[in-house]
This record gives sequence, C-alpha cells and structure tokens, in this order.
Amino acid sequence: MTTRRPSPIRLVALAVASLLAPTAAAIAGPAQFVIVNINAPGVGFNDPTPAAPVGGNTGTTLGEQRLIAFSHAAAIWSARLDSAVPIRIRAQFTPLAANVLGSAGPIQIFRNFPNAPLTATWYHVALANKLAGVDLAPIDDDINANFSSTFNFYLGLDGNHGALNDLVAVLLHEFAHGLGFSQFASLGTGAYFAGFPDVYNTNLLDTTVGLHWSQMTNAQRLASATNWGRVVWDGSGVTATAPAVLTLGSPNVEVNTPASIAGVYQFGTAAFGPAIGNSNVSASVVAAVDAADVAGPATTDGCSPFTNAAAIAGQIALVERGTCGFAVKARNASTAGAVAVIIYNNSANAGAAPPGMAGNGVDDAFVTAPTVSVSRVSGLAIAGASGVTADIGVDLSIRAGADALNRLRVYAPFPVVGGSSISHYDTIASRNLLMEPAINPDLTHNVKAPFDLTWELLHDIGWTFPDADGDTFPDDEDCNAHSDVRPTIIINGIDTGVPNRGLGSGCTMADTIVSTKAASGNHGSFVSAIAHLTNEWKDAGLIAGSQKGAIQSAAAKWK
Amino acid sequence: MTRQRVLAAIAAFAMAIAVAAPVGAAAVAPKKFKATRAFVVDKQTGVVRMPTPAEVDAVVTTLTVLGQQPSESLAQTTHDNGAVSVDLAGGFSGVLLARPNEDGSWETRCVFTVEEGAAFLGLVEDVQ
Repeated sequence: MTTRRPSPIRLVALAVASLLAPTAAAIAGPAQFVIVNINAPGVGFNDPTPAAPVGGNTGTTLGEQRLIAFSHAAAIWSARLDSAVPIRIRAQFTPLAANVLGSAGPIQIFRNFPNAPLTATWYHVALANKLAGVDLAPIDDDINANFSSTFNFYLGLDGNHGALNDLVAVLLHEFAHGLGFSQFASLGTGAYFAGFPDVYNTNLLDTTVGLHWSQMTNAQRLASATNWGRVVWDGSGVTATAPAVLTLGSPNVEVNTPASIAGVYQFGTAAFGPAIGNSNVSASVVAAVDAADVAGPATTDGCSPFTNAAAIAGQIALVERGTCGFAVKARNASTAGAVAVIIYNNSANAGAAPPGMAGNGVDDAFVTAPTVSVSRVSGLAIAGASGVTADIGVDLSIRAGADALNRLRVYAPFPVVGGSSISHYDTIASRNLLMEPAINPDLTHNVKAPFDLTWELLHDIGWTFPDADGDTFPDDEDCNAHSDVRPTIIINGIDTGVPNRGLGSGCTMADTIVSTKAASGNHGSFVSAIAHLTNEWKDAGLIAGSQKGAIQSAAAKWK
Repeated sequence: MTRQRVLAAIAAFAMAIAVAAPVGAAAVAPKKFKATRAFVVDKQTGVVRMPTPAEVDAVVTTLTVLGQQPSESLAQTTHDNGAVSVDLAGGFSGVLLARPNEDGSWETRCVFTVEEGAAFLGLVEDVQ
C-alpha cells in the first residue's frame, strides 16, 4: 500500500462518495503500477458480497476479486515495462449503462517535455513520465479506468472464462490504450490533435502514398483512415517479431479484370459455409437473378432459387444484401453451383462497411461455397462491369494481419469507425491479437511474442523493457537477468583474460561456468564438465586453444 | 491542472454518476438515438430484449463523456520546464461494449465515439 497524493479530481470523487477515503495498492515490478481505488466503502472494489474463489482469484468478496483481477493485469504489464516513475491507474467499478463494460484511457498527454525523443509530438502521460524520468503531473494520476459493477465479468486469473467476458483480458487491452496504444488525430477531418502529431502517428505508414501519418496533410490522413489493408505499423519491433506470431495465409478478395475495377477489395466474412481459402477460387463473377416474389421483392436479392443457374454454375455469384438472411442467399447460390459468393450491401446499408455475416441455423449446412461481403460501392462497381474475374482465397506468402514485408496492418475499414479505426490492429490478424477492436475469446494473457504484439508496439513508441543487466535481453526472456557482464571471464577471483562473450540467450560464458559449477556434484565432475564446455566453445570458434587452457586452469582451482 | 480543467473533470465525473443513476434520473444526450435491435439482457427474465429509451440515452451519454472530443475544447497548459500538456477531461478513452449472441456468448467491441458505439449496438439517430 502506498500513500496517495492529493488530487483535486480525487477529492471530488470523494465528495460524491461520501468523503470516504480511497486506497491505493502498489504492484511491485520493474515499472511500478499503482491502483488508486476511488470507490466508496461497500461498492465497487469494496463490495462485501461474498464470492467463491475462482480461477486462481483467491478473493472472498466481489470487491476483493475485482481488485485482485485489476492487480493481476497491472502486474502483467508491470513485469514487462520499465519506468522509474510509478504508473498510477485511477480505478473504480460503477453501475455503467447497459452493455457498457468499461473504459480506460490516458488522463493527460504531453509534448516538449525534458528528454522527449521527438519534439512537437504528443505522448501519453505515463510514457512521457517514463521518458522524462520524472512525474510530469505529480498531482494527478496517469490512466483513468472505470468498469461496470453490474456486468457479470469472469474474475478468474486463468483465462478459463467460458461464455463470460474475461476481465483480465479486457483490462490488458484497455490499459494498453492508456499506455500509448492509441492515436489522437481526428478521423473526421484528418487534423492533428491541437496542431501536433502524436508518437503513434510517426509509425503509421500508408503504403499507397508512402508517407507516415506524421508527414501527411489533413486530407491525406483523412483518406488514409479508410485505406483498408494499406495502413501499416512500420515500427521495427513489431515488424521483426510479426513472423513469430502471425500465421501464413492472408485472406484476400481481388478483382482481376476489367482493369477499370481491378484491385484488392475490403470484405467481411461469413460464420457459415467453407472458410475462405479452404480452396482458393478464381472465376468469373456473375450477377445472380431470381424471381421478384414474396421471398424477396428484387431480382438481385437472391432470396429465391436463381433463374440463371446455368450461368452461375462454376462461377462466383454476386448477390445483393437484404430481405432474407445471408445464409439463404448463399444456400441458393450453392444450389445453383456457384464456387463462391459475394454479397454486397443494399441501399439501406449504402454507407456501411462489409458486414460480418451470421448464419441462421437452418440454411448454413447447405452452403458449399465460401461467402464474403463487400460494400455497396464495390458491389455496384462489379455489377456494372462486364467480364469481371476475381480471386477469393488466401495468399500463402503473406501473414494474416501483415503486409508482404511483415508490417502489421492497422484497422482502417471503410467507412471509418470513429476512434477505433487506426488505434487497433486489423481484424484480419491470425492469431487473434489483444489489440484488435474486439476482445476475442481465444486471447491469452500474454502481451508479447510469440502470443501477441502489443508489447512490441509499445516498445516501438518508446517504452523499454526491464533489463537489469543491460545485455539487451528483456528480463523475462533472459536466461540470467543478472548476468556477469564483466569484459573477461573471472572464475572465483581469477581473471582468465579470456573475453566474456554473450551466448545469444542472455547468458554469458561466465554465467555458464557458474551454472555448471552449481549443477556439478563434486569438483571432479565440474572440471570434467568445464573441459567438455570449453572444447565446444573452441570448436565453435568462440575461444582459442590457449584460452581454453586458461579457463580450465582457473576452474581446476575453484574448489 | 487549472481550475477550469478541474471543473471540467468534475462535470465529466458528475455525468458518469448520472449515467449510473437509476432509470428516471436526468441524463444528458447531445444526440437522440433509438434502438433497432435487442441487446439488453433483462435482469428478471434473463431474456435479451430491446433497450428502453432511458437505457439508450444512458449508453449514448456514457459514450459522449468517455469518447473522443474536439481538441479545440481542451485547453493546453505550458509548464515551467517547457512541457505542454492537455488534460483530456475524461475523454479519449477506449470504451468496451458488449452485445449478446443467440448462443449465450458475448461479442465485444472497443469504441472511441458515440457513432461507432451506436453502430455496434444497432442504435440509429432518432430524427423525430
């Protein structure tokens, strides 16, 4: 527990909360996180309702379990980030509106602070504090977190959340936004926040125009915000690590001819029928025609059996959204022999993004053709052209969620979806990532490779990892977080004069000799093991023969 | 933090408290929305039902308080060390919404604006 600092906002919260004192729980780690509990007694974190321990959460009241889950999420970040300035999360559980689970974000942003890597650039306050080395806003907290006390979260720590929403995963996601995983430029005008870019903008590259968001005009940023598939994160940490996380095989819908409408199209996927790429499809696109009847009033809606089935067979069917379910249309297309189906938005959804398509539990089983959705603009363009051919499948040379150069795609759908656009990874990523717009049920509580790429992005914007011995290996990946990094190998006080090299795992030669000593049952086995080890090092070209002798001689004297 | 910023934060907090208040409490909604799909799980029956107008207003108010705001509405503060800061007045937060699926599972979405939250929950602007 720590002593909390006075804060005007907190005092207001206290006034509303009947002047009852909040508490603060410190999470020990390389970066200290402090959960500032501003709930009044009896509610939120202080709710005394008895609760059975669940999934490793040992709290015996609802309030205790909430605080333990909060602390657990903070501890995950704490272990992986380095800052001399405590990160203070002002937190509460309150009865939010229906279906609002909670929120979190930075309380302030800073630019032109001491030691700022980039001038005239906004940084989230927690990151600015870390880079400055001092608390730039000592009278206030850094992240505001407010979660629903009426929503039934899974409060376990083990990720076995079943059909419930996993609070720890939700917190990891929202804390990441508060730590820097978000941008502030307006997606309605393209204008920077208060005239300046943020550090997130500097790593956003639009591959169509070849410019970063920090290099664009307002109009260019506005256009880029909906440049689906063409806005990528080109920070070196994420790009270098992406192959360890994302699977090969990027789903793709591409029109090949005519040239006037050729290109890669934004699409939505269906929850029924074969997955895209189950077998790649390359065929002509033919508009479906059906009767205008009680099942559907238009001849383009695909709600009745197709009257041009002969033309559809073996081709990609183009169908308009509306009146009947997606699965009905896809079933009719499958019955007509289509090898794939494209459903485009109808006039009622003219401005909407291609939807994700749910099944109806009836027609789903009869759908044999992979089905995708596209926008109305795209659909009308295809319908209005002749000689249209397209590919629907996966590109096995590209990782799902990245471009051909392993740069992560950020979420840039058309139309723009407020702040979610750009401030998340693309939903096309596979495996699912923590910082997609949805909290997918298969997320783990790991925030870095090989499970995730959130930590890597935070590293790209200036966060550093805990590295106690300064050997560039993060402590949680380092085979010895406190390596002997002296320049020469010193064995029990005897300086061998042999350069003490790193062995590529975070351990040095000197570390290995010490660990060999610890693992050896007696002096004889230690000397024997060192002889074997130094022979390997010599064979690998790490040491010369004379150096091998120097190490063995010193080891023989370590009794 | 200036007094104005403190007052703004007070107002934001007060709005959040208002959102938390029972049905019938005053709620401030700059735009009027109406529901087009059921997404509220009824506490008594457990059945997914259409939200009441008051519940729709509460969602919209929450998103308005917590989501993105025009940067022009937020004051910049210059500090002695040359740093410049902006208190975001409780806004610019990621807001996590959920809607129930037919199989009992939940679909979630992290949103930053009223408009995207409304789209996710099937709310449309009520122009009447």
